[in-house]
Amino acid sequence: MVGPIASLSQLNRADGSASYKCPATGYSILGAVNAPIELPARRDALKPEEATVEVFVKPGTTTAGVGERYVEGILRSVLGKIVLGREKGFPRRGVVLTLAIVGGENVERGDSYLTILPALLHAGLLAMVSASVPLSMTFSATLLGVTKSGDIVRDPSPTAAKAAVSLHVFAVSSKNHLLLNESEGRFDFDTWELVRERALSICQGETAASADGDVSMGEGTASASLSGFIRETVEDQVYSDYAYNLDSI
Amino acid sequence: MSVPLVLLPSDEVPQDHLPTNNSNPLRLGPGLRILSQPSSKGSSHVLTATQAGLLTTDAKRNTVSLLSFPNRRYIPTVNDFVIAQIHHSSVDFFHCMVTPHTAHALLGQLSFEGASKKTRPMLKQGELVYARVQSVGVGAGAEVELTCVNPATGKADGGLGPLTGGMVFDVSTGMAARLIRASSSSAEHNDAIEGLVVLSELGKKLESLGGFEIAVGRNGKVWVDCSNAAESAVKVTVAVGRCLQETDQQNLHPHDQKKLVTKILRDMKLVS
Repeated sequence: MVGPIASLSQLNRADGSASYKCPATGYSILGAVNAPIELPARRDALKPEEATVEVFVKPGTTTAGVGERYVEGILRSVLGKIVLGREKGFPRRGVVLTLAIVGGENVERGDSYLTILPALLHAGLLAMVSASVPLSMTFSATLLGVTKSGDIVRDPSPTAAKAAVSLHVFAVSSKNHLLLNESEGRFDFDTWELVRERALSICQGETAASADGDVSMGEGTASASLSGFIRETVEDQVYSDYAYNLDSI
Repeated sequence: MSVPLVLLPSDEVPQDHLPTNNSNPLRLGPGLRILSQPSSKGSSHVLTATQAGLLTTDAKRNTVSLLSFPNRRYIPTVNDFVIAQIHHSSVDFFHCMVTPHTAHALLGQLSFEGASKKTRPMLKQGELVYARVQSVGVGAGAEVELTCVNPATGKADGGLGPLTGGMVFDVSTGMAARLIRASSSSAEHNDAIEGLVVLSELGKKLESLGGFEIAVGRNGKVWVDCSNAAESAVKVTVAVGRCLQETDQQNLHPHDQKKLVTKILRDMKLVS
């Protein structure tokens, strides 16, 4: 299976940006973060001690509609929980994340929006990391579909997702906690349990087994899991940005 | 130093990477926080990262910090030198822009060298000042205050004050920090400090034209001026700015920086 492709800090003018392409589903996302910035008329926010996270999702060919509003809500709640909004310079300011869908099939109205959610989550997280927004943890997300015959398929294509009986999106934090569970379709608890275990192993790879929270840093095991992929993407960018510093060591 | 260590948010700083100098307390730089973990035998403390970056330690000053991505937004910190642009002025303050899309920073009308109620600089909208961050306030929504004098001596140390003439170029905050670090450690004996040779190379080549002057603000602004260069002043200013911006955007190696300087100066017909 071909893994996803991602890179950081592609845009010059944004504070942080990331592009993410998932070959299995075909979606390609460009994310940009500006933070901390002043949000107009938002100085009396509900939580004045914390930063406000704003998420905008722009489809490639049309204006944003109901589906985009729905995923924006999910993204805002997930990212809002991991952003440390009380760090210096952040209270009462806004963290604005814009995600543009630059490639892949259009999600038609009425289609499930879960198929694109993991790509949006990854692009959003990487853009946040690139903008150096303080975060309490990182996460990785995956999409799983259950077919009529009961097989669990990882990252089904949009057509396969339409045929699936149920679709599940899981996000697992870097501490192996379940952060997000969005499910659609008909399924029972036993199926959900199976899907959850599969999602944990995809996101955390072998490290899910070790309960002491140690993350194995080895090249071979890390690249297999999605969290390892996130780590490698960030490391690559840090190494290229600080090449001048590392040469002298 | 051991292998470079890249941390992601929530990663713990390994004990063996911390400086072992016990004479003064360990100081945490940006991007790190201390968490206490309750355990069976009392509570233990761990250092965790809140940003992604390269872990660096300074054994002499006993500090540990995280070098984050250079494109990030500048967050005002006390004692940083910044280049601010006047937005408008009120009775007591000049309202200045330090970073785009953030609240204005305040610069007192009298916080200039030798300023009094009678004689004080009359700065207009759009003019530039080289200022120091005096305070960032406490709590949410606090205002940032700037100053152009050292409050202890009443003198404008380090070239603080209005910047007249010249031109401002935007660079990344990481590049600005690098330029400041490179200039603070005496660059004479070490040629490629912080991997930057672009300025010393420009200095050598433009000496015959009268040289140039720069001021670097931590908020990612570089002010360049060369009033000595007579008719080629504009050309030299633009050439210096272009060299800095391209070095930053393409993250050039010292070797390529020298090539870039030669190429740009030849393109602009400054040095044959």
